[in-house]
Amino acid sequence: MLGIRRISTYRWWHKKKNWILFVVFLFLVFVKISKGSFYKDFYYLISKPFWPGQFQKEILLESIDQEYLIKFNLLKKDNIRLRQILSLQESSNNDHISAAVISRKTGSWWRQIILNKGSKDGVEIGNIVIGPGGLLGRVSNTSLFTSSVTLITSPESKLGVWVDRIQINGLLVGLADDYPNLILYSKDADIKVGDFVSSSPASSLLPPNIPIGIVQSIDETLKSKKTAKISLLAKPQVIDWVQILKIKR
Amino acid sequence: MNKFFIKKSSIISFIFIPIIFLWHPNWLGFLGFQPYWPLLWLLPWSMINGSINGLIFGFFLGLILDSLTLDNNFTQMPGLIICGFLFGRVKLHSDIFVGHFRYGLICSIGSFLCGTLYFLQIVFRNFSDSNSLMFIPAVKNILAEVFLTGFFAPFICSQLFRMFNFSKRKL
Repeated sequence: MLGIRRISTYRWWHKKKNWILFVVFLFLVFVKISKGSFYKDFYYLISKPFWPGQFQKEILLESIDQEYLIKFNLLKKDNIRLRQILSLQESSNNDHISAAVISRKTGSWWRQIILNKGSKDGVEIGNIVIGPGGLLGRVSNTSLFTSSVTLITSPESKLGVWVDRIQINGLLVGLADDYPNLILYSKDADIKVGDFVSSSPASSLLPPNIPIGIVQSIDETLKSKKTAKISLLAKPQVIDWVQILKIKR
Repeated sequence: MNKFFIKKSSIISFIFIPIIFLWHPNWLGFLGFQPYWPLLWLLPWSMINGSINGLIFGFFLGLILDSLTLDNNFTQMPGLIICGFLFGRVKLHSDIFVGHFRYGLICSIGSFLCGTLYFLQIVFRNFSDSNSLMFIPAVKNILAEVFLTGFFAPFICSQLFRMFNFSKRKL
């Protein structure tokens, strides 16, 4: 006689429902350990279509632009008024002459551009040339119909500049390279990469606050001074139209 | 009229050097650098007309180009005078193929000489300032010019050489 063989016995893992409960339990443990991050990410995904759209962002950016423009104009007026009170050097929009670049030497040793406005149009030696971005150079020579501009990258160019964040004057020297060098005659100057450089208020050659460039790298190997490479905001190799700024002396 | 142009082709091409120097065509350069154009004219001229003529026209070229550039303290004349004189002593090569590449090599050496002399002037002029800062951009400028001048010389010099020879034979 063969005994009756027990085919199956009840165990808890034989029930599907129990497995489901176990998985839910594990999931809740995971949620507890992850401090709800799963929920947050899930919420991020499902709420994405309802976020403030690109359109709203554009409207806000436009508003911010307008706000900055108004503030800029107010500050500009204030600046002109205060300069008049202090009898400092100034420039006005009436002294701008627009000119086209007719010759460009922006590589090698000679860093110069030639403009299509000359002494006939009132351009004088020493006038400042600015382009989209900021300062390009100074007029060094004029003929009847043209004027030649020494770029700030030329080895002949030496200008007084101002580092606004640390409120210090420096000397910007052209090196026949696309990146002129800023020399600060103080080893303690706290200059950093990204600092903004503009024309110096103390300079007798340039009107103040003309944007020039941004500090790209700093060299601290020299003993008595710090030097920094400046990435220019105005790119003379691509600019076709410039403005000649007549400065009042 | 045509005869006049053939006879005077060397002088007419001489007039074009300052124009191309000012024009500075970007599509003929590389990363903003240009070949040193005056050497490309001076080499065939000096090879045909000799050292003294080369020296004189090197001086003339230096005068014109200095008047076009704004750097009042530095001059291109010494380099061009020396190159004009040395190029006059270069003998023609019988093998045309080797001759073409010789133009490239000679112009590269000339460009190196002119660039170095110009750099030395800047160094002496700004002796107290920032010589060390100038060194890397200067090397870059010189090497770029040497390469480009050497690259263009075989094409341009051989054409100018043929043109000058032709105009001389007609005379």
